[in-house]
Amino acid sequence: MSAGSLVAAFAAPFYGALFCVFPAVTKPTVQFGVRVPPERTGAAVIGDQRRAYYWRTAVIGVCCTVVAVLLAVHGSRWLPVLVVPIEVAADTGCLLAARRRITEVKRAERWFAGLRQTVIADTRWRADPPRFPVRWLTPALAVVAATIVIGVVRYPELPGRLTDGFRAWAAPGHRVPKTPVTAFAIVFAQLWVTALWTGMMLIIYRSRPDIDAADPADSVRRYRRFLVRCTTGMLALVTLIDLSLLLAALRNWQVYRLAGASTALPLLPYAAGLLVVMAALLRSGQGGFRLAADGIDSGEPTDPGKRAALADRDDDRFWKGGLIYVNRDDPALMVCARFGIGWTFNLANPAAWLFLSAIAGVPAGLVIIAALTR
Amino acid sequence: MFLSIEPDGPVPIYQQIRDRIVEAIAGGRQPVGSGLPSTRQLAVDLGVNFHTVNKSYDLLRREGLLRLNRKSGAVVQRDAGSGPPSPDWAQDWAGRLETLLAEAAAQGMPADEIITHCRAAIAAFAFPADAEEHAPGHRTAIEGRP
Repeated sequence: MSAGSLVAAFAAPFYGALFCVFPAVTKPTVQFGVRVPPERTGAAVIGDQRRAYYWRTAVIGVCCTVVAVLLAVHGSRWLPVLVVPIEVAADTGCLLAARRRITEVKRAERWFAGLRQTVIADTRWRADPPRFPVRWLTPALAVVAATIVIGVVRYPELPGRLTDGFRAWAAPGHRVPKTPVTAFAIVFAQLWVTALWTGMMLIIYRSRPDIDAADPADSVRRYRRFLVRCTTGMLALVTLIDLSLLLAALRNWQVYRLAGASTALPLLPYAAGLLVVMAALLRSGQGGFRLAADGIDSGEPTDPGKRAALADRDDDRFWKGGLIYVNRDDPALMVCARFGIGWTFNLANPAAWLFLSAIAGVPAGLVIIAALTR
Repeated sequence: MFLSIEPDGPVPIYQQIRDRIVEAIAGGRQPVGSGLPSTRQLAVDLGVNFHTVNKSYDLLRREGLLRLNRKSGAVVQRDAGSGPPSPDWAQDWAGRLETLLAEAAAQGMPADEIITHCRAAIAAFAFPADAEEHAPGHRTAIEGRP
Protein backbone atom coordinates (compact mmCIF):
# COMPACT_ATOMS: atom_id res chain seq x y z
CA MET A 1 0.00 0.00 0.00
CA SER A 2 1.49 3.38 -1.04
CA ALA A 3 1.26 6.57 1.00
CA GLY A 4 -1.00 8.07 -1.68
CA SER A 5 -3.55 5.25 -1.55
CA LEU A 6 -3.46 5.26 2.27
CA VAL A 7 -4.27 8.98 2.37
CA ALA A 8 -7.08 8.52 -0.17
CA ALA A 9 -8.56 5.73 1.95
CA PHE A 10 -8.80 8.18 4.89
CA ALA A 11 -9.86 11.18 2.76
CA ALA A 12 -12.96 9.42 1.38
CA PRO A 13 -14.74 9.00 4.76
CA PHE A 14 -13.56 12.47 5.86
CA TYR A 15 -15.12 14.27 2.87
CA GLY A 16 -18.16 11.99 3.01
CA ALA A 17 -18.83 12.92 6.65
CA LEU A 18 -18.13 16.59 5.96
CA PHE A 19 -20.68 16.84 3.15
CA CYS A 20 -23.20 14.82 5.13
CA VAL A 21 -23.20 17.23 8.11
CA PHE A 22 -23.04 20.49 6.11
CA PRO A 23 -26.83 21.19 6.13
CA ALA A 24 -26.82 20.91 9.94
CA VAL A 25 -24.10 23.55 10.30
CA THR A 26 -25.54 26.00 7.76
CA LYS A 27 -27.82 28.79 8.97
CA PRO A 28 -31.53 27.86 9.11
CA THR A 29 -32.31 30.87 6.87
CA VAL A 30 -30.05 29.50 4.11
CA GLN A 31 -31.04 25.96 3.15
CA PHE A 32 -28.98 24.21 0.46
CA GLY A 33 -27.91 27.61 -0.86
CA VAL A 34 -31.49 28.95 -0.96
CA ARG A 35 -32.41 32.04 1.09
CA VAL A 36 -35.43 31.28 3.29
CA PRO A 37 -37.48 33.75 5.39
CA PRO A 38 -37.35 33.00 9.16
CA GLU A 39 -40.99 31.82 9.31
CA ARG A 40 -40.40 29.28 6.50
CA THR A 41 -37.40 27.47 8.00
CA GLY A 42 -39.72 24.68 9.15
CA ALA A 43 -41.34 24.17 5.72
CA ALA A 44 -42.14 20.54 4.84
CA VAL A 45 -40.08 20.63 1.64
CA ILE A 46 -36.95 21.61 3.61
CA GLY A 47 -37.37 18.71 6.06
CA ASP A 48 -37.97 16.25 3.18
CA GLN A 49 -34.92 17.44 1.24
CA ARG A 50 -32.68 17.35 4.32
CA ARG A 51 -33.64 13.74 5.06
CA ALA A 52 -33.12 12.75 1.42
CA TYR A 53 -29.75 14.54 1.34
CA TYR A 54 -28.53 12.85 4.55
CA TRP A 55 -29.40 9.40 3.20
CA ARG A 56 -27.91 10.00 -0.25
CA THR A 57 -24.62 11.48 1.00
CA ALA A 58 -24.29 8.79 3.70
CA VAL A 59 -24.67 6.03 1.09
CA ILE A 60 -22.21 7.78 -1.26
CA GLY A 61 -19.71 8.21 1.60
CA VAL A 62 -19.88 4.55 2.65
CA CYS A 63 -19.61 3.27 -0.95
CA CYS A 64 -16.66 5.56 -1.77
CA THR A 65 -14.85 4.61 1.45
CA VAL A 66 -15.25 0.87 0.72
CA VAL A 67 -14.03 1.33 -2.87
CA ALA A 68 -11.04 3.48 -1.80
CA VAL A 69 -9.98 0.98 0.90
CA LEU A 70 -10.34 -2.01 -1.48
CA LEU A 71 -8.30 -0.24 -4.16
CA ALA A 72 -5.64 0.75 -1.60
CA VAL A 73 -5.42 -2.80 -0.20
CA HIS A 74 -4.97 -4.20 -3.72
CA GLY A 75 -1.94 -1.95 -4.16
CA SER A 76 -3.30 0.53 -6.68
CA ARG A 77 -1.40 3.82 -6.39
CA TRP A 78 -3.61 6.28 -8.32
CA LEU A 79 -7.13 4.80 -8.47
CA PRO A 80 -7.89 5.46 -4.73
CA VAL A 81 -6.91 9.11 -5.27
CA LEU A 82 -9.59 9.42 -7.99
CA VAL A 83 -12.33 8.27 -5.59
CA VAL A 84 -12.38 11.55 -3.62
CA PRO A 85 -13.14 13.90 -6.59
CA ILE A 86 -15.85 11.49 -7.74
CA GLU A 87 -17.33 11.49 -4.21
CA VAL A 88 -17.27 15.31 -4.01
CA ALA A 89 -18.96 15.56 -7.43
CA ALA A 90 -21.70 13.09 -6.37
CA ASP A 91 -22.30 14.97 -3.08
CA THR A 92 -22.50 18.27 -4.97
CA GLY A 93 -25.12 16.65 -7.22
CA CYS A 94 -27.19 15.79 -4.12
CA LEU A 95 -26.89 19.41 -2.95
CA LEU A 96 -28.03 20.77 -6.33
CA ALA A 97 -31.01 18.38 -6.43
CA ALA A 98 -32.18 19.54 -2.98
CA ARG A 99 -31.60 23.18 -3.93
CA ARG A 100 -33.66 22.87 -7.12
CA ARG A 101 -36.64 21.34 -5.28
CA ILE A 102 -36.65 23.96 -2.49
CA THR A 103 -36.32 26.78 -5.05
CA GLU A 104 -39.33 25.44 -6.99
CA VAL A 105 -41.53 25.45 -3.87
CA LYS A 106 -40.18 28.85 -2.76
CA ARG A 107 -41.13 30.39 -6.11
CA ALA A 108 -44.51 28.65 -6.33
CA GLU A 109 -45.53 29.72 -2.81
CA ARG A 110 -43.86 33.18 -3.05
CA TRP A 111 -42.13 32.90 0.32
CA PHE A 112 -40.77 36.46 0.28
CA ALA A 113 -44.01 38.16 -0.83
CA GLY A 114 -44.89 41.07 1.47
CA LEU A 115 -41.70 40.84 3.55
CA ARG A 116 -39.33 43.76 4.07
CA GLN A 117 -36.05 42.44 2.66
CA THR A 118 -33.24 44.30 4.34
CA VAL A 119 -29.47 44.45 4.41
CA ILE A 120 -27.92 45.63 7.68
CA ALA A 121 -24.48 47.12 8.34
CA ASP A 122 -23.00 47.60 11.80
CA THR A 123 -20.96 50.83 11.80
CA ARG A 124 -19.42 49.84 15.17
CA TRP A 125 -17.76 46.89 13.42
CA ARG A 126 -15.45 49.32 11.59
CA ALA A 127 -14.97 51.62 14.57
CA ASP A 128 -14.14 48.74 16.94
CA PRO A 129 -13.06 45.79 14.76
CA PRO A 130 -11.97 42.48 16.32
CA ARG A 131 -8.19 42.31 16.71
CA PHE A 132 -6.30 39.86 14.52
CA PRO A 133 -4.70 37.25 16.85
CA VAL A 134 -1.11 37.83 15.65
CA ARG A 135 0.39 35.80 18.51
CA TRP A 136 -1.23 32.65 17.05
CA LEU A 137 1.05 33.14 14.03
CA THR A 138 4.20 32.84 16.18
CA PRO A 139 4.27 28.98 16.37
CA ALA A 140 3.98 28.69 12.58
CA LEU A 141 6.82 31.18 12.05
CA ALA A 142 8.91 29.34 14.68
CA VAL A 143 8.44 26.03 12.81
CA VAL A 144 9.46 27.66 9.50
CA ALA A 145 12.52 29.25 11.16
CA ALA A 146 13.50 25.89 12.69
CA THR A 147 13.18 24.22 9.28
CA ILE A 148 15.43 26.85 7.68
CA VAL A 149 18.06 26.50 10.43
CA ILE A 150 18.08 22.68 10.20
CA GLY A 151 18.25 22.90 6.39
CA VAL A 152 21.21 25.30 6.45
CA VAL A 153 23.05 23.04 8.92
CA ARG A 154 22.31 19.87 6.94
CA TYR A 155 22.92 21.30 3.43
CA PRO A 156 26.76 20.81 3.25
CA GLU A 157 26.44 17.14 4.32
CA LEU A 158 23.68 16.25 1.85
CA PRO A 159 24.61 13.91 -1.04
CA GLY A 160 24.73 15.08 -4.67
CA ARG A 161 21.27 13.70 -5.46
CA LEU A 162 18.23 14.33 -3.24
CA THR A 163 14.64 13.11 -2.94
CA ASP A 164 12.50 15.40 -5.11
CA GLY A 165 10.87 17.78 -2.63
CA PHE A 166 7.95 18.42 -4.99
CA ARG A 167 7.28 14.73 -5.72
CA ALA A 168 8.47 13.03 -2.54
CA TRP A 169 4.94 12.01 -1.54
CA ALA A 170 3.84 10.72 -4.98
CA ALA A 171 7.17 9.29 -6.19
CA PRO A 172 9.39 8.58 -3.17
CA GLY A 173 12.18 7.01 -5.20
CA HIS A 174 12.61 9.93 -7.60
CA ARG A 175 15.95 11.79 -7.17
CA VAL A 176 17.11 15.19 -8.39
CA PRO A 177 20.51 16.97 -8.31
CA LYS A 178 21.26 18.93 -5.12
CA THR A 179 20.66 22.67 -5.52
CA PRO A 180 19.37 25.28 -3.02
CA VAL A 181 15.97 25.20 -4.82
CA THR A 182 15.58 21.40 -4.64
CA ALA A 183 16.97 21.16 -1.09
CA PHE A 184 14.74 23.96 0.27
CA ALA A 185 11.61 23.22 -1.81
CA ILE A 186 9.69 22.30 1.32
CA VAL A 187 10.68 25.55 3.05
CA PHE A 188 9.18 27.44 0.08
CA ALA A 189 6.02 25.37 0.53
CA GLN A 190 5.91 26.28 4.25
CA LEU A 191 6.31 29.98 3.46
CA TRP A 192 3.60 29.78 0.80
CA VAL A 193 1.10 28.01 3.08
CA THR A 194 1.79 30.41 5.98
CA ALA A 195 1.57 33.54 3.81
CA LEU A 196 -1.51 32.31 1.94
CA TRP A 197 -3.59 31.47 5.00
CA THR A 198 -2.48 34.53 6.95
CA GLY A 199 -3.35 36.72 3.95
CA MET A 200 -6.72 35.01 3.57
CA MET A 201 -7.57 35.50 7.25
CA LEU A 202 -6.52 39.17 7.08
CA ILE A 203 -8.85 39.69 4.10
CA ILE A 204 -11.62 37.89 6.00
CA TYR A 205 -11.06 40.23 8.97
CA ARG A 206 -11.72 43.17 6.66
CA SER A 207 -14.79 41.58 5.06
CA ARG A 208 -18.32 42.26 6.27
CA PRO A 209 -19.87 40.36 9.17
CA ASP A 210 -22.79 38.05 8.51
CA ILE A 211 -25.69 39.95 10.12
CA ASP A 212 -29.22 38.54 10.41
CA ALA A 213 -31.84 41.18 9.64
CA ALA A 214 -34.20 39.66 12.21
CA ASP A 215 -31.60 39.68 15.00
CA PRO A 216 -28.67 41.99 14.17
CA ALA A 217 -27.25 42.56 17.67
CA ASP A 218 -27.01 38.87 18.63
CA SER A 219 -25.79 37.79 15.20
CA VAL A 220 -22.93 40.33 15.35
CA ARG A 221 -21.92 39.03 18.80
CA ARG A 222 -21.93 35.45 17.52
CA TYR A 223 -20.04 36.35 14.34
CA ARG A 224 -17.35 38.08 16.39
CA ARG A 225 -16.76 34.91 18.42
CA PHE A 226 -16.91 32.77 15.27
CA LEU A 227 -14.31 34.94 13.50
CA VAL A 228 -11.87 34.70 16.42
CA ARG A 229 -12.42 30.94 16.72
CA CYS A 230 -11.95 30.44 12.97
CA THR A 231 -8.77 32.52 12.83
CA THR A 232 -7.11 30.90 15.82
CA GLY A 233 -8.14 27.47 14.50
CA MET A 234 -6.75 28.17 11.03
CA LEU A 235 -3.48 29.60 12.35
CA ALA A 236 -3.09 26.51 14.60
CA LEU A 237 -3.74 24.36 11.54
CA VAL A 238 -1.11 26.29 9.57
CA THR A 239 1.39 25.48 12.36
CA LEU A 240 0.54 21.78 12.06
CA ILE A 241 0.85 21.90 8.23
CA ASP A 242 4.27 23.54 8.64
CA LEU A 243 5.15 20.81 11.18
CA SER A 244 4.12 18.11 8.68
CA LEU A 245 6.31 19.79 6.07
CA LEU A 246 9.19 19.98 8.57
CA LEU A 247 8.89 16.21 9.14
CA ALA A 248 8.87 15.68 5.36
CA ALA A 249 11.93 17.94 5.02
CA LEU A 250 13.80 15.97 7.72
CA ARG A 251 13.10 12.79 5.74
CA ASN A 252 14.35 14.43 2.51
CA TRP A 253 17.46 15.65 4.32
CA GLN A 254 18.07 12.05 5.46
CA VAL A 255 17.66 12.74 9.17
CA TYR A 256 15.44 9.60 9.28
CA ARG A 257 14.17 7.03 6.74
CA LEU A 258 10.67 5.75 5.99
CA ALA A 259 9.42 3.23 3.42
CA GLY A 260 6.05 2.13 1.96
CA ALA A 261 2.85 3.37 3.61
CA SER A 262 4.85 4.82 6.51
CA THR A 263 5.99 7.65 4.19
CA ALA A 264 2.57 9.16 4.97
CA LEU A 265 3.53 9.54 8.66
CA PRO A 266 4.64 13.20 8.33
CA LEU A 267 1.03 13.96 7.39
CA LEU A 268 -0.20 12.90 10.84
CA PRO A 269 0.05 16.37 12.53
CA TYR A 270 -1.88 17.94 9.63
CA ALA A 271 -4.55 15.21 9.61
CA ALA A 272 -5.04 15.37 13.39
CA GLY A 273 -5.19 19.19 13.33
CA LEU A 274 -7.67 19.16 10.45
CA LEU A 275 -10.02 16.84 12.34
CA VAL A 276 -9.87 18.90 15.55
CA VAL A 277 -10.29 22.29 13.80
CA MET A 278 -13.16 21.05 11.61
CA ALA A 279 -14.92 19.58 14.66
CA ALA A 280 -14.59 22.93 16.51
CA LEU A 281 -15.88 24.91 13.51
CA LEU A 282 -18.77 22.54 12.86
CA ARG A 283 -19.84 22.98 16.49
CA SER A 284 -19.84 26.77 15.97
CA GLY A 285 -22.08 26.60 12.89
CA GLN A 286 -21.70 28.93 9.90
CA GLY A 287 -21.26 32.52 11.09
CA GLY A 288 -21.35 31.20 14.68
CA PHE A 289 -25.13 30.72 14.69
CA ARG A 290 -24.76 27.82 17.16
CA LEU A 291 -22.65 29.88 19.60
CA ALA A 292 -24.01 31.70 22.62
CA ALA A 293 -24.31 35.43 22.00
CA ASP A 294 -23.87 36.58 25.59
CA GLY A 295 -20.73 37.98 27.12
CA ILE A 296 -19.83 40.38 24.32
CA ASP A 297 -21.14 43.92 24.07
CA SER A 298 -22.01 44.79 20.47
CA GLY A 299 -24.10 47.87 21.24
CA GLU A 300 -27.78 48.18 20.53
CA PRO A 301 -30.10 45.32 21.51
CA THR A 302 -32.57 44.17 18.89
CA ASP A 303 -36.12 45.43 19.38
CA PRO A 304 -38.21 42.21 19.60
CA GLY A 305 -41.11 44.01 17.91
CA LYS A 306 -39.03 44.64 14.81
CA ARG A 307 -37.62 41.09 14.49
CA ALA A 308 -40.65 39.51 12.90
CA ALA A 309 -41.09 42.31 10.38
CA LEU A 310 -37.63 42.01 8.78
CA ALA A 311 -36.13 39.32 6.58
CA ASP A 312 -32.71 39.01 4.96
CA ARG A 313 -32.61 40.08 1.34
CA ASP A 314 -33.51 37.31 -1.12
CA ASP A 315 -30.14 37.28 -2.90
CA ASP A 316 -30.35 33.87 -4.58
CA ARG A 317 -29.80 35.44 -8.02
CA PHE A 318 -26.20 36.32 -7.08
CA TRP A 319 -25.37 32.71 -6.09
CA LYS A 320 -24.68 30.45 -9.07
CA GLY A 321 -25.64 26.89 -8.16
CA GLY A 322 -26.11 28.14 -4.59
CA LEU A 323 -22.33 27.98 -4.10
CA ILE A 324 -20.56 30.57 -6.29
CA TYR A 325 -21.06 34.26 -5.53
CA VAL A 326 -21.05 36.65 -8.50
CA ASN A 327 -22.35 40.20 -7.79
CA ARG A 328 -20.97 43.10 -9.82
CA ASP A 329 -22.56 45.73 -7.56
CA ASP A 330 -20.94 44.31 -4.43
CA PRO A 331 -17.37 45.58 -3.87
CA ALA A 332 -16.70 42.82 -1.29
CA LEU A 333 -13.80 40.49 -2.09
CA MET A 334 -14.92 37.70 0.26
CA VAL A 335 -18.33 36.92 1.72
CA CYS A 336 -19.68 34.22 4.03
CA ALA A 337 -20.20 30.92 2.19
CA ARG A 338 -23.75 29.79 1.50
CA PHE A 339 -23.21 26.08 2.16
CA GLY A 340 -20.93 24.64 4.81
CA ILE A 341 -18.49 26.68 6.90
CA GLY A 342 -16.24 29.57 5.95
CA TRP A 343 -16.03 32.22 3.26
CA THR A 344 -15.96 32.39 -0.52
CA PHE A 345 -14.76 34.85 -3.15
CA ASN A 346 -17.00 37.28 -5.01
CA LEU A 347 -15.99 36.22 -8.52
CA ALA A 348 -17.33 39.47 -10.00
CA ASN A 349 -14.49 41.28 -8.21
CA PRO A 350 -11.32 41.33 -10.38
CA ALA A 351 -9.17 41.16 -7.21
CA ALA A 352 -10.68 37.71 -6.51
CA TRP A 353 -9.28 36.42 -9.82
CA LEU A 354 -5.90 37.98 -9.04
CA PHE A 355 -5.88 36.24 -5.66
CA LEU A 356 -6.97 32.90 -7.13
CA SER A 357 -4.27 33.24 -9.83
CA ALA A 358 -1.68 33.84 -7.12
CA ILE A 359 -2.88 30.77 -5.19
CA ALA A 360 -2.45 28.57 -8.26
CA GLY A 361 0.45 30.50 -9.81
CA VAL A 362 2.96 30.47 -6.95
CA PRO A 363 3.26 26.66 -6.60
CA ALA A 364 3.18 26.27 -10.40
CA GLY A 365 5.99 28.85 -10.67
CA LEU A 366 8.05 27.04 -8.01
CA VAL A 367 7.69 23.73 -9.86
CA ILE A 368 8.79 25.39 -13.14
CA ILE A 369 11.79 27.05 -11.43
CA ALA A 370 12.75 23.71 -9.86
CA ALA A 371 12.48 21.98 -13.26
CA LEU A 372 14.62 24.65 -14.95
CA THR A 373 17.35 24.46 -12.30
CA ARG A 374 17.78 20.65 -12.66
CA MET B 1 -25.23 51.82 15.00
CA PHE B 2 -27.10 49.39 12.76
CA LEU B 3 -27.80 50.88 9.35
CA SER B 4 -30.47 49.01 7.41
CA ILE B 5 -31.53 49.45 3.80
CA GLU B 6 -33.94 47.71 1.46
CA PRO B 7 -31.91 47.35 -1.77
CA ASP B 8 -34.91 46.14 -3.78
CA GLY B 9 -37.32 48.75 -2.33
CA PRO B 10 -38.83 51.71 -4.22
CA VAL B 11 -36.61 54.35 -2.54
CA PRO B 12 -33.15 54.81 -4.17
CA ILE B 13 -30.39 53.20 -2.09
CA TYR B 14 -28.39 56.43 -1.72
CA GLN B 15 -31.51 58.14 -0.34
CA GLN B 16 -32.09 55.29 2.13
CA ILE B 17 -28.49 55.50 3.41
CA ARG B 18 -28.82 59.27 3.77
CA ASP B 19 -32.18 58.91 5.61
CA ARG B 20 -30.84 56.28 8.05
CA ILE B 21 -27.83 58.47 8.92
CA VAL B 22 -30.08 61.52 9.47
CA GLU B 23 -32.30 59.39 11.76
CA ALA B 24 -29.23 58.17 13.68
CA ILE B 25 -28.03 61.77 14.17
CA ALA B 26 -31.48 62.89 15.34
CA GLY B 27 -31.76 59.85 17.64
CA GLY B 28 -28.43 60.66 19.33
CA ARG B 29 -26.71 57.50 18.05
CA GLN B 30 -24.31 59.58 15.94
CA PRO B 31 -23.54 62.77 17.94
CA VAL B 32 -21.41 65.66 16.69
CA GLY B 33 -17.81 64.56 16.22
CA SER B 34 -18.62 60.87 15.84
CA GLY B 35 -17.21 59.12 12.79
CA LEU B 36 -18.89 57.04 10.11
CA PRO B 37 -17.24 54.23 8.14
CA SER B 38 -15.39 55.24 4.98
CA THR B 39 -17.41 55.07 1.75
CA ARG B 40 -15.53 51.94 0.69
CA GLN B 41 -16.10 50.15 4.02
CA LEU B 42 -19.80 51.02 4.16
CA ALA B 43 -20.21 49.93 0.52
CA VAL B 44 -18.63 46.55 1.37
CA ASP B 45 -20.78 46.19 4.50
CA LEU B 46 -24.01 46.94 2.62
CA GLY B 47 -23.00 45.12 -0.57
CA VAL B 48 -23.68 48.18 -2.75
CA ASN B 49 -21.60 50.13 -5.24
CA PHE B 50 -19.22 52.51 -3.53
CA HIS B 51 -20.41 55.41 -5.74
CA THR B 52 -23.85 54.96 -4.13
CA VAL B 53 -22.42 55.53 -0.64
CA ASN B 54 -20.34 58.41 -2.00
CA LYS B 55 -23.52 60.04 -3.29
CA SER B 56 -25.20 59.70 0.15
CA TYR B 57 -22.22 61.18 1.99
CA ASP B 58 -21.98 64.03 -0.51
CA LEU B 59 -25.68 64.78 -0.03
CA LEU B 60 -25.20 64.88 3.76
CA ARG B 61 -22.16 67.13 3.33
CA ARG B 62 -24.16 69.60 1.23
CA GLU B 63 -26.89 69.56 3.91
CA GLY B 64 -24.25 70.49 6.48
CA LEU B 65 -24.63 67.31 8.54
CA LEU B 66 -21.31 65.67 7.61
CA ARG B 67 -17.74 66.87 7.24
CA LEU B 68 -15.63 64.86 4.82
CA ASN B 69 -11.87 64.89 4.69
CA ARG B 70 -9.13 62.48 3.75
CA LYS B 71 -7.61 62.14 7.22
CA SER B 72 -10.60 61.83 9.56
CA GLY B 73 -13.06 60.38 7.02
CA ALA B 74 -16.75 61.19 7.47
CA VAL B 75 -17.53 63.00 10.72
CA VAL B 76 -20.92 64.24 11.97
CA GLN B 77 -20.95 68.05 11.97
CA ARG B 78 -24.41 68.92 13.33
CA ASP B 79 -26.93 67.31 15.66
CA ALA B 80 -29.93 68.28 17.80
CA GLY B 81 -27.67 70.23 20.17
CA SER B 82 -25.96 72.33 17.50
CA GLY B 83 -28.38 75.25 17.73
CA PRO B 84 -31.14 76.36 15.35
CA PRO B 85 -30.72 75.83 11.59
CA SER B 86 -30.52 78.70 9.11
CA PRO B 87 -33.85 80.46 8.29
CA ASP B 88 -33.58 79.43 4.63
CA TRP B 89 -33.23 75.76 5.56
CA ALA B 90 -36.12 75.98 8.06
CA GLN B 91 -38.38 77.54 5.42
CA ASP B 92 -37.49 74.86 2.89
CA TRP B 93 -38.07 72.10 5.46
CA ALA B 94 -41.48 73.58 6.45
CA GLY B 95 -42.49 73.39 2.79
CA ARG B 96 -41.49 69.73 2.54
CA LEU B 97 -43.23 68.93 5.84
CA GLU B 98 -46.43 70.56 4.60
CA THR B 99 -46.37 68.34 1.52
CA LEU B 100 -45.72 65.25 3.65
CA LEU B 101 -48.61 66.05 6.00
CA ALA B 102 -50.82 66.91 3.03
CA GLU B 103 -50.21 63.43 1.63
CA ALA B 104 -51.59 61.90 4.85
CA ALA B 105 -54.57 64.25 4.90
CA ALA B 106 -55.27 63.60 1.20
CA GLN B 107 -55.32 59.85 1.94
CA GLY B 108 -57.97 60.47 4.62
CA MET B 109 -55.84 60.11 7.74
CA PRO B 110 -57.53 61.91 10.69
CA ALA B 111 -55.71 64.89 12.23
CA ASP B 112 -55.39 63.08 15.59
CA GLU B 113 -53.66 60.15 13.95
CA ILE B 114 -51.29 62.44 12.04
CA ILE B 115 -50.33 64.14 15.33
CA THR B 116 -49.89 60.76 17.05
CA HIS B 117 -47.47 59.70 14.30
CA CYS B 118 -45.56 62.99 14.62
CA ARG B 119 -45.30 62.58 18.41
CA ALA B 120 -44.08 58.99 18.07
CA ALA B 121 -41.39 60.07 15.60
CA ILE B 122 -40.24 62.99 17.77
CA ALA B 123 -40.16 60.72 20.84
CA ALA B 124 -37.31 58.79 19.21
CA PHE B 125 -35.17 61.93 18.79
CA ALA B 126 -32.53 62.97 21.34
CA PHE B 127 -33.10 66.65 22.07
CA PRO B 128 -30.61 68.13 24.52
CA ALA B 129 -32.08 68.79 27.99
CA ASP B 130 -31.35 72.53 27.88
CA ALA B 131 -33.13 72.86 24.55
CA GLU B 132 -36.23 71.27 26.10
CA GLU B 133 -36.15 73.83 28.95
CA HIS B 134 -35.60 76.92 26.81
CA ALA B 135 -37.56 76.15 23.66
CA PRO B 136 -41.36 76.13 24.17
CA GLY B 137 -41.82 74.61 20.72
CA HIS B 138 -39.70 71.62 21.65
CA ARG B 139 -41.50 71.17 24.99
CA THR B 140 -44.85 70.98 23.18
CA ALA B 141 -43.48 68.63 20.57
CA ILE B 142 -42.11 66.08 23.03
CA GLU B 143 -45.13 65.80 25.28
CA GLY B 144 -45.76 62.32 23.96
CA ARG B 145 -42.25 61.01 24.76
CA PRO B 146 -42.22 57.99 27.11
